Amino acid sequence: MPAHTPDPAHARPGSAYANPYVAGVGLGLVLLAAFVIMGRGLGASGAFSSTMAWLVNLVAPAHAQANEYFQGYLGDGTTHPLKAWLVFEVIGVMTGAMLSGLLAGRVHLSIEKGPRVSTAIRLLCAFAGGMLMAFGAHLARGCTSGQALTGGALLNVGSWAFMIMVFVGGYSVAWLMRWQWR
Amino acid sequence: MMTPLYKYGFFGDELSLVVAFVLGIGFGFCLERAGFGSARKLAAQFYLYDMSVFKVMFTAIVTAMLGVTYLGWIGWLDLSQVYLVPTFLGPQILGGLVLGVGFVVGGYCPGTSAAAVATGRVDGMVYALGIFAGTFAYAEVYPSIKAFVNSNEMGQVTLPEVLGLPWGVIVFVVVVVAVVGFWGAGKVERWIGSRS
Amino acid sequence: MRWSALPLNRKLAAVALVLGAGALFSQPHRGPVVKLDTRELAMIVEQQVDHVTPAELAAWIVEGRADYRLLDLRSESEFASYHIPTAENVPVSALPDFPLQPGEKVILYSEGGIHAAQAWMLVRAQGHAAVYTVLGGLDGWKEEVLFPVIPADATAQQRARFEQVAAIATFFGGQPRTAEVAATAAPGSPALPTVTTPAAPELPSMAPPVAGRTAPAAAPKKKKKEGC
Repeated sequence: MPAHTPDPAHARPGSAYANPYVAGVGLGLVLLAAFVIMGRGLGASGAFSSTMAWLVNLVAPAHAQANEYFQGYLGDGTTHPLKAWLVFEVIGVMTGAMLSGLLAGRVHLSIEKGPRVSTAIRLLCAFAGGMLMAFGAHLARGCTSGQALTGGALLNVGSWAFMIMVFVGGYSVAWLMRWQWR
Repeated sequence: MMTPLYKYGFFGDELSLVVAFVLGIGFGFCLERAGFGSARKLAAQFYLYDMSVFKVMFTAIVTAMLGVTYLGWIGWLDLSQVYLVPTFLGPQILGGLVLGVGFVVGGYCPGTSAAAVATGRVDGMVYALGIFAGTFAYAEVYPSIKAFVNSNEMGQVTLPEVLGLPWGVIVFVVVVVAVVGFWGAGKVERWIGSRS
Repeated sequence: MRWSALPLNRKLAAVALVLGAGALFSQPHRGPVVKLDTRELAMIVEQQVDHVTPAELAAWIVEGRADYRLLDLRSESEFASYHIPTAENVPVSALPDFPLQPGEKVILYSEGGIHAAQAWMLVRAQGHAAVYTVLGGLDGWKEEVLFPVIPADATAQQRARFEQVAAIATFFGGQPRTAEVAATAAPGSPALPTVTTPAAPELPSMAPPVAGRTAPAAAPKKKKKEGC
């Protein structure tokens, strides 16, 4: 075990992170607002799907429209695929995160990684992780935001099953991946 | 009470996109406040020395869950109008497993990667590129895995329905489990912290 | 231990536990608009597992079972003049707002069965699975339970079985009758018209429920708008 264990609370210059319970209540209230105003919850992975469908359609329209998965996000062509609720929501997420980061002095170009791993390997893992995440999210019809948070609050059966498996999956490979983080 | 507002026609699709943006701001703000723009903090959950992911996630769930319960009780929210993602048990169990692995390998999830990108993390940006690539790959193989993806369909079901218990009872159990979990998480953090 | 002296996390936990306990008494508010799983409902109707016979119901009442709610869908005056024992009066129009616990077994009846069948659809559409109608309705109850008829040429075995049926009829204040007696008007009981087989409850065809808001013409059925 390396002597230096990064303390996540003060891992970066800038102010310390908020009390997780307070942040959780805030997040819960945002989620509740979504329920009351929109009749739906939050999400994220859907925005990536819409964007990808739009991109592929731009570059190779015939292929995009022939693909059943993308076609679902392209619709019948009367509305732009990027004019999707989740796309706007994710843009909001980035805006809000930047706002919070700026207020706390936590915005700067950097790479999050453990002390023992090289930048190149870390970025490779990030890419691979993203690919895996995409598969998982599309299989499950959502990610931690859409399924775990939203579905969790609504006591959705599939969401709770999903959420439990996320923790199972994460903990089962944590030991194998410890060289990346510790 | 005519809520959810959108479902009762208080505003249309155009304004709903603005609503999406504003809610997203709240979402992203809270994520970054909690430190979830940082892959190290997120991954720490799986090494037990920082259980913030568990704490934030379940606090949010409990807050929103109590919110819909009480608002539904006093008639200020028509819960039947809130969209419930249909359950596909097999794919969702596998999806959760794969997502969990991706979480530890990549260090983010889609929402937190957006927060990471917005605060300058290059690994977050690469992770997002990975999501795009994975989405493309998924779409390509989708026709062959379609049967599995749509298997075990249970429709829109909630835990109370499946367990045959009243909604309120499940809510109470979740709250108790969460609070006990939070207490336990704190203990685990301190124990791990004292070992290193 | 003063409230203000507690650390924030403890306060949050306390609030959560109190609210969680309060939730035990909550009832999720179900609005009037519902979603129907048409295939599931059609199957149930076809398999006829949504009925309870008057004889079964009579047996449960006699046993003193309390694990069901019997709802009489007729008007107040009709209910007052006669109703099946243990029944509660819920006119059809009051049914959508009538609170029901998720696990409760609900049995519906009306005069003949048409209203009960329609109400069955309403209750099922609200997500309540354990709902049944009394086969034949109150008419069936009168015929099978209150005024059961034994044919004149019944066998000894049939007579023995009829003993029990007759006992139940008496229990409910009815009157077992032989075929000859039944042919004439039954004295001192709610007047029975010529006995005809009650029409099987017809389930009306259901149009898909209209959404809570009318969709603007421009919104196509394009993508998974409600996905994650």
